[in-house]
Amino acid sequence: MSQDWLLKVENLSVRFQSRGGDAHAVEGVSFEIQRGETLALVGETGCGKSVTARSILRLVPEPPGKYVAGSIKLNVEGKGVVDILSASTKEVMAIRGERISMIFQDPGKALNPSLTVGSQLAEVFGQHRGEMILESAGIDPSKASRAEKRVAKQRASFVQLRFFHLTRRSKAAALQKSIDDAVARSLADTGIPNPRKIMKSYPHELSGGMKQRVMIAQALACDPDLLIADEPTTALDVTIQARILELIQDMQKRRGMAVLYITHDLSIVREFADRIAVMYAGHIVETGPAQEVLANPQHPYTTGLLGAIPHRRTPRGQLAAIPGSVPHLIDPPDQCHFASRCQWAAEACRGHVPQLHTIQPNRKVACFRFGESESPSVAKADMPIPAEISGEARR
Amino acid sequence: MTTGPGSKKTAQSPTPKKSAVTVKWARRLEVGREVLRNPLTVIGLTIIFLFLMMAVFAPLLVEPNQPDPYQSPRDWSNIDSPPGVAGHVLGTDSTGGDVLYGIIWGSRLSLQLSVTVVLFTLVFGTMVGSIAAMRGGRIDNLLMRIVDVFLSIPELIFALAIAAVLGPSFSNIILALAAVFWVKYARIIRGEIIKVKQADYVAAARVVGDSTWNIYRKDVLPNAATPLIVQATLDMGNVVLIGATLSFIGLAQAGLTEWGALVSAGQSGLLAGEWWVSTFAGLAIVLWALAFNLVGDGLRDVLDPKTEGR
Repeated sequence: MSQDWLLKVENLSVRFQSRGGDAHAVEGVSFEIQRGETLALVGETGCGKSVTARSILRLVPEPPGKYVAGSIKLNVEGKGVVDILSASTKEVMAIRGERISMIFQDPGKALNPSLTVGSQLAEVFGQHRGEMILESAGIDPSKASRAEKRVAKQRASFVQLRFFHLTRRSKAAALQKSIDDAVARSLADTGIPNPRKIMKSYPHELSGGMKQRVMIAQALACDPDLLIADEPTTALDVTIQARILELIQDMQKRRGMAVLYITHDLSIVREFADRIAVMYAGHIVETGPAQEVLANPQHPYTTGLLGAIPHRRTPRGQLAAIPGSVPHLIDPPDQCHFASRCQWAAEACRGHVPQLHTIQPNRKVACFRFGESESPSVAKADMPIPAEISGEARR
Repeated sequence: MTTGPGSKKTAQSPTPKKSAVTVKWARRLEVGREVLRNPLTVIGLTIIFLFLMMAVFAPLLVEPNQPDPYQSPRDWSNIDSPPGVAGHVLGTDSTGGDVLYGIIWGSRLSLQLSVTVVLFTLVFGTMVGSIAAMRGGRIDNLLMRIVDVFLSIPELIFALAIAAVLGPSFSNIILALAAVFWVKYARIIRGEIIKVKQADYVAAARVVGDSTWNIYRKDVLPNAATPLIVQATLDMGNVVLIGATLSFIGLAQAGLTEWGALVSAGQSGLLAGEWWVSTFAGLAIVLWALAFNLVGDGLRDVLDPKTEGR
């Protein structure tokens, strides 16, 4: 299994230049994703989880962003390992969409408002599957004229096809049909009813759930090995959230792709993730199998995060919160970033940044106090709320 | 205003038979219908249409003067005659030039001026602004500082200075205006592109491996261009207004059938009670500028409701 890794992020550090100094958004983050696995990157707003995810696609704008250190290795089937951070722009563009794809938090903002849903999807197919489209239109890709290739790539309208590119009527119709078929098929795959009609709609004519399905269709159009889902359901109605997540899970099973969830919603983690990595202030503080981490959190931050979930037995008006707030990321001091909010913080915690160390075969935690007598793992017995949650998770 | 920000009707979901092309046109038609719901816009469009007809059919309306139709024919026997006298419907000026002839042939010059200047500034300004916004960093800084320099001088005075340096001629007025007006477009499009670039759909396009040029063409420009359409419409009027000012103070060739030059020719007679020359020519300028402003405002209400009421 360890041979079958898909993505290996090693010691990734991303900084943002700002007037007050460099913001250390991501510091020394390492994790691995296996083929077909679901990893959840969990943390509160501003902890660097989105920056980590966007780094994988090299979407962090440079400047102000800067990849200071580390590597992101992608194991491309049959082609060997590519380091995304040092790859050329051309290689990165080939990886995007083909190997790794992403869906965004707010589907309302992730679709071009001035193009129909169909033409946006068609472009993705054209970009990566031009030959397939030519073939299914009955045109030999090696013999296709330049105009035909252009059409397959950009989905020119029928009028343009006929008069601008001077393609024969039968060919034009066949090309048009083959593109439309591909788009309709991909929409139908995501459970959109009446895809032929939806194709011709503009994004603002669709509901949020529908738009997210279109986004998923677009992201999965080229069968990526890894799908990054950046808070895919945060902007959606609660009633639709579960359906979208089930859809992603269903697609994942059918295609055997890996999914990286970026989320602060621990209920998603419990239901859908195999493994979990908890991030705090740019560092991964704890990783391990999702059920184990949720049932038996070892890092005080994870414990606090789980404690903050309201529960039906939590008395009304009493929401648990972790005291204090996230430290400033601009030139942070060399200490455990959680020390200022941690009830178990000791001298050692203020001296260095703790490194992740293995505590069980699959689990790692970055805490100096782990294993000591007053450490959070022992103290957790006094914390009824996480224990209850873990009970629920086992059910 | 009958159309407000709230009246954003979406196109009816098209029937499955319609092709994507038809859908696009259906939507444009919808925007057009919405624009026409505003009576002021309709008035503006009517005036523009009449001016256009006037410019296109000028040779049919009045016999063109030989050899240069842009010089009024001189009727030396009827100098300063009031409207209606001796076949001069709107009277004549102090050199016997027919005012109606001047206004009709002047509309051709106005059209030429506004179309040339607006087209050039729109394209050039968009190019500069797009490069600045898409590239960012140092190039953005450099280009925008140049734009700032242009913006720091009032446009009328700047255009006046350029036209004066180049010497009095109508084509130099066009050049001067073109050199002044492009900066606005560069500014507007840069701001819009920077805003649009933040949108997730641009990131989404990058995620699926689209090239920067394609993203600019399909995702960025169409969503950033709306304010340009409004600005261009307004400028169709403004350009003629400033162009007339320049020819009023004598920066066009003498005797040209340009509205500003006509106003200038008539001003000496104003005190003597010869009101018709300046008034009719001035009216033409006002109507032209007004019409494009009405249409521009109407377009803004429909396309860009957020910026309503500056």
